[in-house]
Amino acid sequence: MIHFFQVYKTYPGTIKALANISFKIEKGEFVFVTGPSGAGKTTLLKLIIRAERPDRGEILVNKRNVSRLKNSQIPMLRRTIGFVFQDFKLLNNKTVYDNVALVLRAVGHNKREIPKRVRQVLRVVGLEDWVLRQFPLKLSGGEQQRVAIARALINTPSLILADEPTGNLDPELTVEIMNLLQKVNTLGTTVVVATHNTNLVSQYQKRTIPLYRGKMAA
Amino acid sequence: MAMLTLIRRTFGVMKENGPSHVLSIGTIAVAFFLFAAFLLLPLNFASFLEAWEKKVQIILYLKDGVEEQRILQLKGELQKEEGIREVRYISQRTARESFERDLAGYGGILKGLKEEIFPASFEITMEEHFRTPARIRSLASKLSTIKEAEEVQYGGLWLERFSLFLYILRWSVWILGGVLIIIIISVTANTVRLTLYNKKTEIEILKLVGATDAFVKLPFYLEGGLQGLLGAGGAIVLLLAVFRFFFHKVSPYISLYFGQLRLSFLPPNMIGWILGIGVVSGLLGGLLSLRKAA
Repeated sequence: MIHFFQVYKTYPGTIKALANISFKIEKGEFVFVTGPSGAGKTTLLKLIIRAERPDRGEILVNKRNVSRLKNSQIPMLRRTIGFVFQDFKLLNNKTVYDNVALVLRAVGHNKREIPKRVRQVLRVVGLEDWVLRQFPLKLSGGEQQRVAIARALINTPSLILADEPTGNLDPELTVEIMNLLQKVNTLGTTVVVATHNTNLVSQYQKRTIPLYRGKMAA
Repeated sequence: MAMLTLIRRTFGVMKENGPSHVLSIGTIAVAFFLFAAFLLLPLNFASFLEAWEKKVQIILYLKDGVEEQRILQLKGELQKEEGIREVRYISQRTARESFERDLAGYGGILKGLKEEIFPASFEITMEEHFRTPARIRSLASKLSTIKEAEEVQYGGLWLERFSLFLYILRWSVWILGGVLIIIIISVTANTVRLTLYNKKTEIEILKLVGATDAFVKLPFYLEGGLQGLLGAGGAIVLLLAVFRFFFHKVSPYISLYFGQLRLSFLPPNMIGWILGIGVVSGLLGGLLSLRKAA
């Protein structure tokens, strides 16, 4: 599914974000990328979706070499990946329905099927129809993150990347969201969660890719 | 269908950032109004010049003591001259009578003036095609070589200055046009940039979920083009209103002095060009801001 082979990434100003990173994630796995702030977790996720390009090394995602992907091919790669952010990144001036439907509109999905598909995916993440016409700021943090996960899932991606998805949530909501991600994983989607929360990692007993100052920790 | 969606998205983008769009369309309209007005001026000054040229006459003052027979002969020669339509002889007596008529209000002051102080002259009216500054000047210069001619007068200097003014005005239009296009591009670019800033998160999400570059950027290009079109269109409408006001309320007074003016508005092809320039410079503005920002 994902294969990093001796990947290096340095940002301008010679800040080494990642150095000599190699790992493999199989299809259907649930993996934590762990490490403190500045360890390179977000950079790693950005490399997977080709928001960044590695300086050296190869990255394979769904058998595509993303480090050599042409710019015009990037949208096709991203349509197979769902992304969840710590700060949800919902559009506060749009309703929940529009936030989720935006993805299908962007990829040119059949217009007539969009409402049905949005309702389905909101049910999967445990939200009822009443939230459809609500604006994100009217919802709780946990509900907002559920909407964000619904947005990531709506295009039936084979991979979900979550960057500190519980970073803004209290412990109770954290469990809810993690359970939801697990549920998504059991439905066959590969899930990669980047987190600095060691309690969370120990609680869920999943494979981890530990990073420290841009390197794979022992 | 896709086009309809695109147009709907473009209007959506513009609606969300309404006040700044109204402001920039207004600025573009003002810029285009100046440009279009500068195009309209030489167009109508040319007709003003034409009207004035119709009134232009050459007056050939004769030396004292030219014999009557020679006068008749000269009149005949002048009438045969190329470009001359009519020659009217004004004798010394007629000149004095005309002077007295014109200054009738001064009464007795004019009494006692002898007719010898009024020179006899020929009033020469030219053919229409001959009423250009260059031709009038050349004819006047030729007439001044007549032995009996004391002086040849025509409104030449004024006419030439006016023609020069018209020439400068025509060039100024192009220079001004260039400057205005830069202003329009920069105004549009800044508004589109502002919209881009407001929609930063949306663009980020769209890119992340696999929207193509065209899907993300097209509404912003269209936004720029539409702003240019609306600005230019607004300017044309405004100019038409000003023109109509001038045509109905001001031009009759000017016609009293300079004869019937043939005022005309910008021809359709010129309006088409202005709207086209609006769209293209708006698109360029959008392109410029997207190249830098998205």
